Amino acid sequence: MINAFLVFNGQGQPRLTKFYTQLDTSIQQRLISEIFTLVSNRPAGSCNFLPLPPLLAASSTSSTSSSAQEQNDVPSLVTYRSYATLYFIIISTATESPLALIDLIQVYVEALDRLFENVCELDLIFNFETLHATLGEMIVGGVVVETNMDRIVAGVRAQGTVAKRPVNEGRSGGGLGAGLGAGLGMGGMVWPSGR
Amino acid sequence: MFEKSLYDLIRGLRNHKGNEKEYIQSCLKECRSEIRSQDMDVKATALLKLVYLEMVGHDMSWASFHVLEVMSSQKYHQKRVGYLAAVQSFRPDTDVLMMATNLLKKDLSVATPTVISLPIAALPHIVTPSLAMSLLGDLLPRLSHSHAAIRKKTVVTLYRMALVYPETLRAAWPKIKERLMDGDEDPSVTAAIVNVVCELGWRRPHDFLPLAPRLFELLVDGGNNWMAIKLIKLFATLTPLEPRLVRKLLPPLTNLIRTTPAMSLLYECINGIIQGGILGEGEDFSAREEVASLCVSKLRGMVSVNSDPNLKYVALLAFNRIVVTHPFLVAQQEDVILECIDSEDITIRIKALDLVQGMVSSDNLVSIVSRLMRQLKASSAALSQRQNGLEGQDHETDSSDEGIADSRWRRKTQESTPPLPDDYTVDVIGRILRMCSQDNYANMVDFDWYIDVLTQLVRVAPTPRARDPDLDASKSRTPGDISEKIGNEIRNVAVKVKAIRAAAVRAAELVIARMSSEVSLSRTMVSGALKPVAWVVGEYALQLLSPDDTLRHLLDLAPRIADPEVLATCLQAILKLLAHVAGDNRALWTPERKSTVALQMARIIHVLEPFALHPYLEVQERAVEFIELLKLTAEAAAGQPPSTDEVQQDPPLLLTQAIPSLFAGWELNSVAPGTQQNVPLPDDLDLDEPIHPNLDGLLAQADSLMLPTQGEDEFEVYYNQKPPPTSMSSEPAINRLLDAPEEVSSSYQHAEESYLDPDIVARRKAERMERYRDDPFYIPDSARSGGASTPIHNILQKENGPDLDIDSIPIMQLDLDRLSLSGRGTPAAEKQQQQQPAKPKPRQRIVVAADETLGFGGSGSGLSTPRTAAAYDSETNSINNNNGQPRKSKTATAAAGASKRPKQQSLLQVDSSHLGDLSLDGGGGDALAHERQQREEAEMAQALREVQRLRLEMQRANERIQVAQGVPAEGVVVAAKKKKKTRKMGAGAGKKEGAGTGAGSGAVEGGEGPDTEGVVKAKKKKKKAPTTGDGGGGSGEGEAAGVGGEGEAAPAAKAKKKKARRVVKLDDDGDAAAAAEGQS
Repeated sequence: MINAFLVFNGQGQPRLTKFYTQLDTSIQQRLISEIFTLVSNRPAGSCNFLPLPPLLAASSTSSTSSSAQEQNDVPSLVTYRSYATLYFIIISTATESPLALIDLIQVYVEALDRLFENVCELDLIFNFETLHATLGEMIVGGVVVETNMDRIVAGVRAQGTVAKRPVNEGRSGGGLGAGLGAGLGMGGMVWPSGR
Repeated sequence: MFEKSLYDLIRGLRNHKGNEKEYIQSCLKECRSEIRSQDMDVKATALLKLVYLEMVGHDMSWASFHVLEVMSSQKYHQKRVGYLAAVQSFRPDTDVLMMATNLLKKDLSVATPTVISLPIAALPHIVTPSLAMSLLGDLLPRLSHSHAAIRKKTVVTLYRMALVYPETLRAAWPKIKERLMDGDEDPSVTAAIVNVVCELGWRRPHDFLPLAPRLFELLVDGGNNWMAIKLIKLFATLTPLEPRLVRKLLPPLTNLIRTTPAMSLLYECINGIIQGGILGEGEDFSAREEVASLCVSKLRGMVSVNSDPNLKYVALLAFNRIVVTHPFLVAQQEDVILECIDSEDITIRIKALDLVQGMVSSDNLVSIVSRLMRQLKASSAALSQRQNGLEGQDHETDSSDEGIADSRWRRKTQESTPPLPDDYTVDVIGRILRMCSQDNYANMVDFDWYIDVLTQLVRVAPTPRARDPDLDASKSRTPGDISEKIGNEIRNVAVKVKAIRAAAVRAAELVIARMSSEVSLSRTMVSGALKPVAWVVGEYALQLLSPDDTLRHLLDLAPRIADPEVLATCLQAILKLLAHVAGDNRALWTPERKSTVALQMARIIHVLEPFALHPYLEVQERAVEFIELLKLTAEAAAGQPPSTDEVQQDPPLLLTQAIPSLFAGWELNSVAPGTQQNVPLPDDLDLDEPIHPNLDGLLAQADSLMLPTQGEDEFEVYYNQKPPPTSMSSEPAINRLLDAPEEVSSSYQHAEESYLDPDIVARRKAERMERYRDDPFYIPDSARSGGASTPIHNILQKENGPDLDIDSIPIMQLDLDRLSLSGRGTPAAEKQQQQQPAKPKPRQRIVVAADETLGFGGSGSGLSTPRTAAAYDSETNSINNNNGQPRKSKTATAAAGASKRPKQQSLLQVDSSHLGDLSLDGGGGDALAHERQQREEAEMAQALREVQRLRLEMQRANERIQVAQGVPAEGVVVAAKKKKKTRKMGAGAGKKEGAGTGAGSGAVEGGEGPDTEGVVKAKKKKKKAPTTGDGGGGSGEGEAAGVGGEGEAAPAAKAKKKKARRVVKLDDDGDAAAAAEGQS
């Protein structure tokens, strides 16, 4: 299952945190900063997976004595993807498919792009309720419930109108859209368009 | 309207760059007052701002009651904020949760789908066993809601409820199954169910075998890739239970592999085939063979150099899984996997290392370790260059002495690689040590090389940061530990491999010399390597090149050692060195000798003196002992007149006899861990006999003088514990060297230069030159001896192109013994040998002593278990033929049942262990039980609802009073709240009874209902053997019992501790309750 879904920007400021288990705020912050340190030091052309941050590594090695079954419960995979100024992180157990998680992030970002029409970081900063709503349409309690873009977008729209970005705040525009196109070429493969 | 909106808050944050902290604090203050406003809009906005600030790291647990208030709002957009806040801020210890039950029930039965999905989506985050129990009845009907979106979310929420309350599954599973089997069901609901089934699948695969046909159908014509991946994963756990599935699965899987455009699905197909054991041998061998080669070749393509890094990573992941069951398939891919070790991406490196560790053999050990060493060296060079640019420059020019190829390599890596993170460096060093020392050095061919590697490792090991009180102890100690481990290896080699002892001792000498030259006066010495290295230097002082210098270095270092245990070892080493340096009884007692000895002793006493008051007992004791001993000796030496030309004088006996005799004696051997426990107890030792008749009195006296006691010092044990002759064989366990140490094949000599420091290589070469000085066939390296960085060298290099390295031109050695084995011909041949040592190199025949152990199955839980020790003994015995008496029986008893460590939950982990215990195929009785339970629940819920309503009323009233009184401090409220709540509870209950006075029977009913429920609940809880002591459930019971107790007035007997406390509190605020009772 998915243990956490995080979004933060290039300075490590969180834009969305969603933990599917209850965790102290201070530990959440420590985890975020550990992951940020890891993710911001990646050389170009590295893979989209991170080594376990110390907080998780410590707890997962301490339970190595337990059976393989219990290993499946331990968060052991940190997948990330970066778009323009933002990092999207998924922490999951080994039972998830790594490559599919990369595509899941892509779906999330594309859904946001449709909702905001050429999404940029500012949209996410000022509409973090919508971020949560979109995520809620895709993942419930750490289990993926929907991967179809149209249904996700429809689900979010059913909950109310999505606010547009404030007009006078457009200065650091940039947009994630550019990142979308230039993303990994495998993006559309899992969920071919038109479905 | 002066309140800020979330929008204002964020804008403000962006406009206050630099002093955000102050701004946030002021915002928090505003929120605290706004959230208590009567206006629901203001309240909800404040909550939304708090949620935003929580994301940035500001605790909002104090606001949990207000979260409930907003959740109960009538307006959807406010309610949504409330639920979001609950999801983000509720923690296991949030105690308002049980008050939410009613609200959740209500929201679950609303007509609007958007409202229903709020509690459904929030439940997985906040659910507790008691909450699950009371909400199950309300959630189940949502499985047949008309909206597909509600249905699919309900399925997942039911799964999460089942994790904390497994009974959920019994009630929900038939309905979920029905949904899954329904062909007309909405595809996204089916997909959600498959997701859940997959999550459940690996926990209890047996239950899902009957579903296989339907799942297979979905796999074949599904079309949804995410679902297909999940299905394949599920089948991979099912096939081991039902081998017939394999034949059915193979065609669609191979079809998918060949056709799918999605890389993720392709990978999971391969992974599923591997994991499902489909590669395994069985009938229909040829078909499987085909699949196996298809999979492995695809994986190999993924790992190979130019592929997408993500594919590389997942392929390594797959290999890590295959290696458990099919090691030979992975071993075939060794070449591409080894390439991954040098990847720039640390994630890939680590995964490759995981894999490589299991593949080490004596053939590839050197090449693997060399790769790792090169990384470490490059990283440490880059680090030093980054830290002090100027120094790095010098280093660069220095290194031009070394072959140009070397420095070019370094320059290249310095440009491309940033320094490695310390954790990773420590990890890699740990792995190197483990790979090399595996199975009592089974894979080690060349110990000289190993010693050099260790010496280099001491240098690249990250230095621990100065002790920082903020960091927790375990964290700041880790880097120190790794250099101690390296030192331990040097010591182990020195003790265990007698043939190489001289080299090891010299390496230790080098390490100490370097440490003393590096440590500046101001800094303290922190490297943990010093302890074992100092021990080696002291113990094998005979083999030192220059014991005087080493003694001086140690004396320089001693005052700057931070760790008392290291210091204690060093003190011992200092005296041992003195015994060796000064204690020669054959040399004449000349005036020069007399003065040098006197000086040395004076110096040592001077260094030791401050330690006589050391707080650490071990250090203090040793220092005091040695000082006294040395003072005596110094007196004796001063009193002994030096020998003149006429009169021969012996050196003082104290110096030549007494002190050396302290340390001479038994040869020390390595002892298997746990063996000490097997030393038989002497007959005349009575452990129950008091040491001192008045021990208590003594201890009482000494109470004020408590000093920290030290842990067991293994060296001390070595020295002080004389083995009883019956228990330990007197024959030396270190087996004698069979052959003289041969010159080892140096085909990788050149490669070494890329990761060993120049001085280590130089020492190595000097040694070799020394050895071949008289060998007419050995051509001395004139270029090197005549100033290394000669222009000629460079010119040659340029002319010949970068590929040719002068140093790699082979030098013919005429060694008759090894003529036949020598595989060194042309440079090309040598190169090849470097890259992949195809031919097994002649194994250097060095005997590694096994750990000594005593019979009766020691608890072997160390580097070398008794089993391997026994194996080694048999080997060495067979070589040595007659090795004296047969050893003590070394029965290889496995470690007695590896003690199960207490289960520790990992961060973020969801505990699902209860789920496995539940049996799904219960008969009809269970269903009946469930219905009965539901009825009971409904009754209880009714009662609870009433209580809650009253309680909320009271809370509001209280709030109003507070506002009226102007209670300002929010901080106090958090602490005070609990008390208030219990009080309210009591009051509420009292009030209720007061209301029911008219009809006495009504009061009794109202009182009894909850009470019996409480007991029932408690029993159920016990049955489940709860491992999670969750506050919500506990407090729920407590209240139920407490509230009931009010009516029955007999609470204490049944109440547990927690309850008891609450009840007492309830009684404390007596008036209301008493009044109520009086009324009734």
